[in-house]
Order: sequence, then C-alpha cells, then structure tokens
Amino acid sequence: MGLTNTPSDLLPGTLELLILKALRPGAKHGYGIVEHLRVVSDDVLRIGESALYPALQRLLLNGWVKAEWGTSENNRRARYYRLTAAGRRQLTAEHAEFDRMVSVIQRVLAST
Amino acid sequence: MSALLRRLMYLLGRSRHDADLRDEIEAHRAHRQDALERDGLPSDAAAWASQRAMGNVTLAVEDVRDAWVSGAVDQLWQDIRIAVRGLRKNPVFALVAIATLALGIGANTALFSIFNGLILRPLPVRDPGRLALLLNGSWSYPIWTEIKARENDLFDGAFAWANERFDLSRGGQSTFVDGAHVSGRFFEVLGVPAVRGRMLTPADDADSAPDGLVAVISHRFWREHFAGGDDVIGRQVTLQRRAFTVVGVMPPGFFGVDVGRMTDVMLPFAAEALMRGQESRLASVGSSWLNMMVRLKPGQSLEQANAALRGVQPQIRAATVSGVAAARAARYLTRPLTLASATTGRSSLRTQFETPLFAMVVAVGLLLLVACTNIASLLVARALARRRELSVRMALGGSRGRLARLLFTESLIVAMAGAALGLVFASWSGALLVRQLTTWESNVSLDLVLDWRVLGFTAALACASAIVAGVAPVLGLKSVAAGEALKDAGRGLAGDRRFAVRGTLAVAQIAMSLILVTAAGLFLRSFASLNQLPLGFVPEPLLVAELDLQSSDTPIEQRGPRVERLRDAAAAVPGVRSASLSRVSLLTGGGWGANRIAIDDGPMPVEDRSDQRLWLNATTPGWFETMGTPLVNGRDFTDGDHVGAPLVAIVNQAFVRRYRLGRQPIGRTVRIGLSNGERRYEIVGLVGDSVYTSPRDGMMATMYVPLAQIEPRAFGETVVLTINAARGQRAAVERDVAAALARTEPTVAFTVRTFDQFIDATVTQERLITMLSSFFGGLALLLAGIGLYGIVAQAVRTRQGEIGLRMALGAQPAGIVRLVFRRVGVLIVVGLALGLAGSLSAAQFVGPLLSQVEARDPATFAGAAGVLGAAGVLAAWLPARRAARLDPATVLREG
Repeated sequence: MGLTNTPSDLLPGTLELLILKALRPGAKHGYGIVEHLRVVSDDVLRIGESALYPALQRLLLNGWVKAEWGTSENNRRARYYRLTAAGRRQLTAEHAEFDRMVSVIQRVLAST
Repeated sequence: MSALLRRLMYLLGRSRHDADLRDEIEAHRAHRQDALERDGLPSDAAAWASQRAMGNVTLAVEDVRDAWVSGAVDQLWQDIRIAVRGLRKNPVFALVAIATLALGIGANTALFSIFNGLILRPLPVRDPGRLALLLNGSWSYPIWTEIKARENDLFDGAFAWANERFDLSRGGQSTFVDGAHVSGRFFEVLGVPAVRGRMLTPADDADSAPDGLVAVISHRFWREHFAGGDDVIGRQVTLQRRAFTVVGVMPPGFFGVDVGRMTDVMLPFAAEALMRGQESRLASVGSSWLNMMVRLKPGQSLEQANAALRGVQPQIRAATVSGVAAARAARYLTRPLTLASATTGRSSLRTQFETPLFAMVVAVGLLLLVACTNIASLLVARALARRRELSVRMALGGSRGRLARLLFTESLIVAMAGAALGLVFASWSGALLVRQLTTWESNVSLDLVLDWRVLGFTAALACASAIVAGVAPVLGLKSVAAGEALKDAGRGLAGDRRFAVRGTLAVAQIAMSLILVTAAGLFLRSFASLNQLPLGFVPEPLLVAELDLQSSDTPIEQRGPRVERLRDAAAAVPGVRSASLSRVSLLTGGGWGANRIAIDDGPMPVEDRSDQRLWLNATTPGWFETMGTPLVNGRDFTDGDHVGAPLVAIVNQAFVRRYRLGRQPIGRTVRIGLSNGERRYEIVGLVGDSVYTSPRDGMMATMYVPLAQIEPRAFGETVVLTINAARGQRAAVERDVAAALARTEPTVAFTVRTFDQFIDATVTQERLITMLSSFFGGLALLLAGIGLYGIVAQAVRTRQGEIGLRMALGAQPAGIVRLVFRRVGVLIVVGLALGLAGSLSAAQFVGPLLSQVEARDPATFAGAAGVLGAAGVLAAWLPARRAARLDPATVLREG
C-alpha cells in the first residue's frame, strides 16, 4: 500500500496546479481535495496523502492558500484550505503555462 | 521576504505546527473511514483499512517539514554544530584566531567609538538638529546682549556660554572643576530638564538675582560630591572662594554643549561680575570669551537664519564698536556673522584630533587586514590538514557548495566570537585612550556609549573579517577532488601547488605589516626628537606656582606689594635656591604679545597683524638665573627699574635675528604701537633663546620688561612664581612653599606645577599617535611572524618524507635549512618590496603628522624593513632548524 498514484508520474508542479484548480470553486479540506480530483478525473487521479500534504504546505509557504480549522459536512473537525488572491493569480499563470507546455509536447510528439 | 517571515513563524511555533499536522492527517483518515463505512464496511474494518491506506503519518510530517524549512535552517544549524565541533577539536587554533580578531576588531571598535563620540553623536538635548553655532572664535558680552535682544525675532531662542575653571577649595592650593557661565535661558533653549530642583532661569542671570548666588551641577558632580543625596538642593558649594547655593542637578549624560568636556558646574553670567569685581568682562567689547548658539525656528533653514542675522548685523556691530581699537574698527564692522549647524555640539578636540584620528583609523584598518590574513592563512592550513576529511565528505556526496559553506561557517563563528571579545577590549581600551588626552590644562571626558552606530560598525567588521578570512580556504577547496586524498596516502612532495594561496597571503601580510611598522618608526622618531628639542632653560629643578590674585577683595593697586611679599616667603623656604616672578609662564600655551613693533626711528606698521606677533613677558630681577637662561650681553633688570624710571627691555637672540639688530643690540630702542600712541623701551640686555609656546614652534622672538614697570592698575589677575629648588628636594620644597604661601596670605589661591606637565601637554597628540602606532606596529610584526611561522612549519611537515629521504641520501642539515629558506626568502623579499612601495605612497598621509622627521626618512624605512626581515627570518628559521634535526630513519619508517 501507500503507492496510491504518487504524482511522480505527473509533470513537476502539476499537483500544485491541480490542487489550486480544485480549490477554485471554494474551500476544501485535504480529503475533500483528494475526493474532488478522483471524481473529476473519473477515478484516474488518486492522490496519496504523502504527496498531498507536502504540496499543500508548499502552497501555504508561498502564500497561495490559507488554512483554517472548521467542521466538515459529517461533523468532523477538518482543516479547510482557501485560495488567496495570490493563489488565484498563480492558478491563471500556471494554467496558461501548462497549456503551453502540453501544446509544445504534442507538437514534438506529432512531428515525425 | 514574506516567505522568510512565514518560515520564521513556523520555526517559532514548530511544536504547535506538528500537532496541527497530526490532527489534520487523523481527520483525513477519519473521513476515509466514514466513506468506507458508507460503502458498507463494518466500523472496525473501515478503521483498519483507512489506517493502512494512509501510509506513514510521521514520514508525511517529516516531508512537510522539509517543504517548510527547505532544509536551509536545519542545514545551517548543522553547519554551526560541525564548525563548533571542529574548532573545539583544535582549541589552540580557535584561541589564537579568536584572540587575534578580538584585538583587531577591538582596536577598530575603540577608535570608532571615539570617532562616534567626538564627531558623529548628536547632543543629548531636545531636537539637536535645530541648533546652530555662531562661527569663528569667541565673542564679547556686549555682542551677546545685542543678539539676546533679538533672539525671538530672528530665531527660536539663543544662548551663550563661556567655559571656565572654578576653584573648589576654600584656601591654599586650588582644586579645579570644569564649569561655565551660561545665559539665563541656556537650559530652556536647549531643552534640558532638571532631575532635581530647577535649572537656571533668566531671573538668576539678572543683576538682582532673587535667590542670590546660585549654581546648577552635573549629575556626575552630584554623585561624587553630594553622594547623590536628595538633600542637595539648597546646599552650598564653594567656587572661587565664594559660596554658591545648588538649585538643580542636570540629567545624566548631559555634559554641556562642548563635546569632550564635562561641564560640572554652571553659573549665570551675572556671577562673573561678582567673582571678578573691577575686572569683570561683561561690559568689555575687547574681550572675546563666550560662545553662542541659536535654535532655528521650525522649518527655518540655516541659510534663512544666516540671512536674518546678517540683516541686523550692522546694528549689532555698530552698537558694540566703541572701545574697539581704531586700527581694527573697519574690519570689525564688516566681518560677517555666520551660523553653522551644531547638531553634534562644539568641540575644540575635533579640529585638533581629526587628522590623527583619521590616520589611526587607516592604520587600525590595515591591522585588521593583517589579522584577517593571518586567520585566513590558519584556516587554509586547517583546510589543507583536513583535505582527507573534505575529500571523503565529497566522495560521500557532500556538494562543493555545502563544504564551502561549512568552511565559511567556521570563519564566521571565529569572527563573531572575536567581535564579541573585541567589544569588551574596545570599551576598556577606548576609555584608556581618552584618558591619555587629559593634560594639566584640560580634562577630556568623552562618553563612549555602545550605541547602534558602534554595534553596527562592529557587526559589519565581523562580517567583513569573516569574508576576508573565509574566502581563501574556500578558494583552496577548488583543488580538492572527491576521493583523491584516499589515493595518495599523505606523502606530499615538494612543489605542491595546491593551496599556494597561502604564499600570496604571507606576502600581503608582510607588506601590510611593513607599512605599519614604518609608520610606527616614523612617529617614534618624531616623538623622540620632539622631546629632545632644546628648551633654552633648565626645567628639572623648577616649580611653577601660578598665583591667582583675584581671590581676595584687596584693590588691584595692592597686587605688586602682595606678590613681592609672597615671593619673599617662598624664597625663605629651605631648599629654595631662588624664586622669581613673571607675568607669563612658558609652555602653558598662554601668552602676552604685541603686534605692531618698530626699531629705533623705523616706520611703525599700521596694520595689526597677529601673525607678526612679538611675544612679551614681564619678570623680576633674577628670573633668567632662576630659569637657567644665559644672559649673553648687557645687564639683568635691577631694583632701579620701577614705575617712573626710564622703560627698559631685555630681548633674546631670536629678536635680534628677526629685527636685524646686528652685533650691538644694547642701547637700541624698541617701539610698541598702542591703540593711542606708542611706548618706547631701551634694550639693556640680551639673553639666550628659550621656547615660549611649545618646543615644536621653536625659538621665537621675545621681549622682556620689568614686572615693576607695569602700571599698578594694569597688574594682571595672575602672576607666576618660578622656584628653583635644590637638587633632589623638589617634592619637599613644593610642600613647604605651598604652606608658606598659605601662611603669608590665607586668601591667595594658587597651583604648583612642574614643566614636565607643561611639556607633556604640548605633545599630547604626538604621544597618543606614537603609543597607538607602536602598538599597531608591534602587533602587526607579531602577527606577521606567527603567520610566516605557521606557513613554514606546515610546509616542513608536509615535506617531512622528502626531507627525510634527502637526508638519508646524504644531505647536510645546513642544506636542508637552505632548502626551506629558498622558498621562504622569496616570500619575505617580495613582501618587503611591496611593503616599501606601500610605505612610500602612505608617507604623504603620515607627513602632516610628523615634525622634525622627513616622511620618507631613509633610516626609518631601512630600519623597519630590517626589523621585519629579521622577524621573518626568525619565524622561518625555527621550523627549518627542526626540519634539519629530523632523524631520517624515523621519518622514513613512520612516513
């Protein structure tokens, strides 16, 4: 166990981009983020905790998200993450950069 | 920046953070368990499954910590631990390095704290930035009266003060305290409140002061003379034989407005009239004796203030011009009044010590460089010795950058420890230096506060030292290859070019040390020759008693007979060979002069030029004999030369040279121009030259007149009684004369001093520079020696195997010594050559501080190079000799 789709097979930085995207609609706790990504990706992306939490800490460190304790829908104490204004800007910038990268990679793959 | 802040916050709340994370991950697990239960799993199975799915929580927490701290802080901490461990393993190195830096940084900090106290620190008063000083010398009281009348129109207030020494004793020998007369609003305009009682007010400075004679004392004076008691207000203090009532105590740290002087007692100007009676200077336009400052209005610039002052200048000058000599009146009326910013107060020390202080700051900076070079050299040696360790670390995956940081951390720690110790050394040596400035005539007192400027300076020095000392070993690191040291098992051979940077360091060190030693040599020679300058009299048996005739209320006309009685009393003391009076004492810096002189029927100069001054003195018969100045021609004064008899004069040989009197000066006439007419003297005697102001100024033209021919009303307030004591009895004579004077006239105030004290005071600056530069030079010499010794010892150690082999093959010990010297000799010679070149170009800065010695004095240069060369050879010879005594068999066996 424990090898639940660690993001080493993702492009570097992509996990952070996905987390920012997941938080875009509103604040979520860690489990909520994992579930959101799993559902949206049709069970393809299963983010492990050992990848998720360091990534969240990096986002906190850069000031892109904020964390505060709250109560979850099933009445459990949980730490909610919310995008900051800087995080929103970062999401836009990284999204654009990601699109550019993907198109570049596709162009390379398409060439013969 | 904000990321750094968040990291810091994290470090501070580390345990809370870890707990947060653990809670969060537990919450995550609980959510998963809930989901599993919703999918139909039994509760315990769901708990177990969720637990398993989580993986290692602790590891996750560690991962996160890495994300937060990025290892930087942790690694730094690790670096510090490793560096401290390394230093503790080699305590001798650590101690030498730290002590060296402590001396270097301490000396720098000491000088800087003096510089700070003297030049940089603002006055401890309210809003010192708005204070301005009326420039160029001192002013008369009538001018102050004019400015005072306009102080609130032109400025936000003004004040005047005049520094004085007050005699604290009630009778006999004087004990002085530094004080001042101040104007009524002095404290109010400065914004200095009392800590006890009240400060002076304009009412105290009026002719009819309601509280009588009042004084305000400094915090220090209060602690020392009244034991800091609360009952000080209303108590009496004796000043100039008169009782004053203490009405207030100044706050601690307030010393007045003269930086370098502790003004312990402040009296209103009105008290001056009471103390000096008929000779009060309050009404005199001719005596310039006070200083003035103004407080600018808020928003008023210095230019505006100057313009405002010059606008009323004609009225101020015109109101005070009566009484100014006609010859000077034109200049007096037009000389502009100028204000200058006085944020940092006024200081006579500043101009006197600015150049030497600057020279010493440069010298001490060089010294610190030498010290840093030494430490760099030691660090390189250590890195060299640890090449094996470093190489292993590299082989195990330590990055070059990380290793460089490790080495650098070491020098940083040494620098920090050195700086901390240096601060201790600085506060001690700084105070010691300031004490050296105090002479018989001025008590120098400077608060050396460790304020933010000094601490910042020291911290910057420590960082700079760490960089200078730390760069060389890091550069040397480039030549270390991973695992290389594992291959060669420490059998170094000649020509090891790695860490050759040490040789360069040694050359730099020798060069800088030579500059310091040369400067020290020049200052020493200059100081020594100053002390050997001829004085023109014999100071050893002499005692100089200055009699203050103002302390008694007897009329001025009585002063002549009074001093004659006092002289007779002194002359009758056993052990006194002779006692004579003069108006001026030589070498006290004071003087009496004439500016317009003509010989015989020559034309009298119209211009009043103070640079053409002729020095005057008035003496009683026998004074030249008492002083030991030879009478070359003619006669001494006699009892027949008194008021009413023809005016006579004695001149010295410098006078004859200056006024070209030729071979026969006796019988010629000297005419001295006065504001109304002139006075004619007949030359009756010629005496040898003697120094008047200071030995440095050389022999100056001087004319002596009989004390008995001075008009009784013009008799000065002080007179000097010079006593020639029998050999070996000076101390006893001093005591007995003091007793005899007090017995003869109980009210007379006097001080007894020796010429040693006067001569010392004329060379304060030179003595200080010589002391400091000798200390720096000596230290640099020592450091260079240690540095060179370390290098040679190290080189010999690494080549031990080779040397053993050579000896086994028949090399003689002398040959081994030669072998070692061949390489060291090059370093010494190159270092000396560079140092000589540096000294030659430094000479132009040293030049202005020297007297009697050329700035490029070849003997001093050669001597300094010789001393440094000898020290270098000695430092190299010790390890070379050890090498030559090696037993080849042992060396080769132990290899």
